[in-house]
Amino acid sequence: MSAVDSPGGRAGRRWAKLPRWVAAIFGFFAILGPGLISANAGNDAGGIITYGSAGSQFGYRMLFLMVLITVALVVVQEMCARLGAYTGEGLGALIREQFPLPSGAAAMVLLFIANAGLTVSEFAGIGAAMEIFGVSRYIAVPLALAGIWAVTVFGSYSQAERVFVVMGLVFLAYPIAAFLGHPGAGAVASNLLWPHFLHTKAFLLLAVALIGTTITPYMQFYLTSAVVDKGVTPQTYKSERIDTVNGAILSDVVSIFIIIATAAAIGGTGPLSNVGQAAAALRPVAGEAASQLFAVGLLGAALLAATVVPLSTAYAIAETAGVERSLSRKLREAPLFYGIYTVQLVVGAAVALLPGNAVSLVINAQVLNGFITPVLLTYILILANRRSVLGDAANGPVFRTVATLCVTVVGLLSAVVLVQTVAGWV
Amino acid sequence: MWRGTQPLLWEPRCLGAYDRGVGFNRVTWTPGHDRKPIGASQFRQLARLRRQREARARETAAAHALKGSLMSLAALLGSDVKDPDGRSVGRLSDVVVRWTTRGAYPAVKAIVVKNGKLEVVISARWLEVASPSAVRLRSSRAYARTADRHRDDVALAHDVLDRQVVDADGVQILRPSDIYLAAVGDRIELVGIEVGVGALVRRLGPRRLRGRVRLGRAIDWGAISAFAPPRAGEDRRHGRRLEIAGEAGTGLELDRRAAEVKRLRPSEVQAVLEDAKAKRIGGPS
Repeated sequence: MSAVDSPGGRAGRRWAKLPRWVAAIFGFFAILGPGLISANAGNDAGGIITYGSAGSQFGYRMLFLMVLITVALVVVQEMCARLGAYTGEGLGALIREQFPLPSGAAAMVLLFIANAGLTVSEFAGIGAAMEIFGVSRYIAVPLALAGIWAVTVFGSYSQAERVFVVMGLVFLAYPIAAFLGHPGAGAVASNLLWPHFLHTKAFLLLAVALIGTTITPYMQFYLTSAVVDKGVTPQTYKSERIDTVNGAILSDVVSIFIIIATAAAIGGTGPLSNVGQAAAALRPVAGEAASQLFAVGLLGAALLAATVVPLSTAYAIAETAGVERSLSRKLREAPLFYGIYTVQLVVGAAVALLPGNAVSLVINAQVLNGFITPVLLTYILILANRRSVLGDAANGPVFRTVATLCVTVVGLLSAVVLVQTVAGWV
Repeated sequence: MWRGTQPLLWEPRCLGAYDRGVGFNRVTWTPGHDRKPIGASQFRQLARLRRQREARARETAAAHALKGSLMSLAALLGSDVKDPDGRSVGRLSDVVVRWTTRGAYPAVKAIVVKNGKLEVVISARWLEVASPSAVRLRSSRAYARTADRHRDDVALAHDVLDRQVVDADGVQILRPSDIYLAAVGDRIELVGIEVGVGALVRRLGPRRLRGRVRLGRAIDWGAISAFAPPRAGEDRRHGRRLEIAGEAGTGLELDRRAAEVKRLRPSEVQAVLEDAKAKRIGGPS
């Protein structure tokens, strides 16, 4: 077997002098591509707090929902990766070309709102993490804002990104914690395989929050652009598809472990009252240092997402408008791009500093995302169904049915909760 | 302190400014007052500012003069097409131009009119464009005929507006937010495209404001006339992107680099249009 035929393609060739099993491992990590990265971006500060809250409030009951969400995530991410690979354009550009201008503008406004909510929750995460270290959030959040802006605009974003990603790797401790926490294997299995839903308002609300944080709109825009940037073509799409599906599943497995670990530690104690409580889930791994470990991971994940989310908003909107969009441009050359980026960062940090409970703020932001997700998924679904966009790679009848079903279910759930929420205000 | 005894033109560089005939003294000095002379660099700066101001005034005047003759495609799309009796024939859904690399501006060949689900192509010779947002037909029988699509025909709303334009390096450089047409003699020609947010905002606004053309970031079509529609004449609805998927180009392609693309100056457009009119009137028709 030649090196080119080996799984991992080019990566296999690069490590050809190593023993085969070592090469295989390297090859596996080398194909970690946009799919895995973008799906893992779902495990940001908002995600961790929401998953933790789900575990503490409802124990294992949310697990079956996570399985359903994983299916939907796989379907959606695959469509996005396919759109990117076959058209060579990002979602923003496709929406501009394929929809009437008002619909496109509406999509961008919704994306901006959803991402503003996410940015708020990331800054809330930064504040909460620093408060575990004993730094007031009124100091930490403005500092983080200034730091993020300066690093991305004047400094090297890729180096900062690497630091954040390494910090976020702390959350790989969750699967270990989940096993060490001795969850009831039977209970976990039955909750994974069979729905144990509750028909309460709080359950539905948290369900929408889980959808919002797992199938985040910004991830779809990010994934499509990343696939385009990577230069994936229809010929090389097969391996990209594997990467995307793997990424979606792996990231949701981590999410499921977060829920299991939290449920095993503090399940059934009601909603989280503060972010630090979620650290209890890491106690089987880290003992007394659980809080610190949790805070480091939360800080890394939050800093990463607080940088990526506004950048991706700015990129998508500038792409739709068809103007300059790149961090390599000067401030004056790309006013719209930098303007949106800055506004979103500042608004996010400002709202995160408002007095109030960080956990409920974060969950509300995810619920907001959950409301907007089905709308933007509809755009993606329509694009992936169109033969004028994808040609023969457009959704086939089976895929189309499954995808439509996913979007409809998500949409119905959001609609029910939206109506309930609005009715609660009246 | 300067006492007024110093020679005014002691810097040889200043002579340059005099030679170039910028019409005022470089020193703002009145006898009897102690004033410092303006330095040579400051002087040049002032002169540059004045030139800029004059140029801006010239462009504004030209833009005003163009206002009546420049039509925005975004404003035209969806407007009523009427027959001579004032009855509505349908809505304008596209404008087809004949692609050419020879003349500076491609001429409009036909329009596509949509009435319900029916789409008809009406040849441009039946057209009479009265004001920037109203299209009239010369004969009520005009729309009974359909023009067939030529290889080099490009439907502006479908193929150019909101599509990406890539340059010779395959880099996406523009995405036209609006397309400008102008009546030149008895023809309507494509004179420029506009990119950027301004035109998008205008298109999102109320209909009657859409015709207000303000040349913001417009690009002279004459300067980029090397545009070539990829695979014209093919069936555009099926798998067109698929063949070139994964590459940057899905819209139009330029023969030249992004750096060579030129902004549209109202005064230049005006000059070109007037030139063309003069030729048409004087030359063989």
